[in-house]
Amino acid sequence: MVEAVQVQLKKGVLELCVLALLSQHDSYAYEIASRLAEGIDMGEGTIYPLMRRMQSDGLVDTYLVESSAGPPRKYYKLTEAGTMSFSTQKAEWAAFSRAVEIILGDAA
Amino acid sequence: MNRQAFIDRLRLGLSGLPAKAIAEAVADYETHFAEGLAAGRSEDEVAAALGDPARLARELRAEIGLKKWEEQRNPTSAAGAIFAVLGLGAIDLLILLPILMTVAGTLFGLIVAAVAIFAGGGVVFAAGPFLDPPGGPLTALLGGIGLMAAGASLGAILTLIVIGLVNALVWYGRLHYRLLKPAIESQS
Repeated sequence: MVEAVQVQLKKGVLELCVLALLSQHDSYAYEIASRLAEGIDMGEGTIYPLMRRMQSDGLVDTYLVESSAGPPRKYYKLTEAGTMSFSTQKAEWAAFSRAVEIILGDAA
Repeated sequence: MNRQAFIDRLRLGLSGLPAKAIAEAVADYETHFAEGLAAGRSEDEVAAALGDPARLARELRAEIGLKKWEEQRNPTSAAGAIFAVLGLGAIDLLILLPILMTVAGTLFGLIVAAVAIFAGGGVVFAAGPFLDPPGGPLTALLGGIGLMAAGASLGAILTLIVIGLVNALVWYGRLHYRLLKPAIESQS
């Protein structure tokens, strides 16, 4: 049960985290996955279905960059819609987490 | 699990999808392995960090199914989307089953009704003229034919619905099997 709740919580904020990372600088899937894996302990493989969805939702765009080692890397960057979605979701998250904090604080 | 085993299980989980979608997904994870190896991790470490390939395949499959539904809104893609989500285990058979039972029960009732109307029409047609009905023998004959025709057309419509429903069920069963098999194997 606790595990299921954690998974759902993490899935919910995963997109927000990806938007946040991409708002700092463009990145490729492996880097995004490693950052999220060490930060919030997500399975690295989850990033690919998520990136695919975000791309089809028009939140991110891709471009190829030649890499020194191996094949060219597919970089992701935020689209205008992605940037807007980030600020909206960030505000929602802030309001939500404040509300939860207050309730948790009352209970303690 | 090494790179090859991971990719094989992923392919197995994705089998049945368009070749292009499979190739893209496989390329994504191949790249991930290449990056991981370049960063000094072993294939086993990368595979462990990626997670269960069967579950990833289910997520990708659902993603593709939903996308297709968004691109072309027709009954086929609707079913594809619904079943892809069902395949994720998001909605369990426990929820689906009562709905199916209700639908099947209703259909069965309607089929019985169609047969009864047809039989009733037959009786009116055959026996009516000899029982001195109101309106005369001809009314009974025509009324009987009318009832039989109504029963037959109701039956025909129901048959089409049942065929569609069964097709959907067969398809769902096959999809579920395809999804579950790799998941079971990867646990052994």
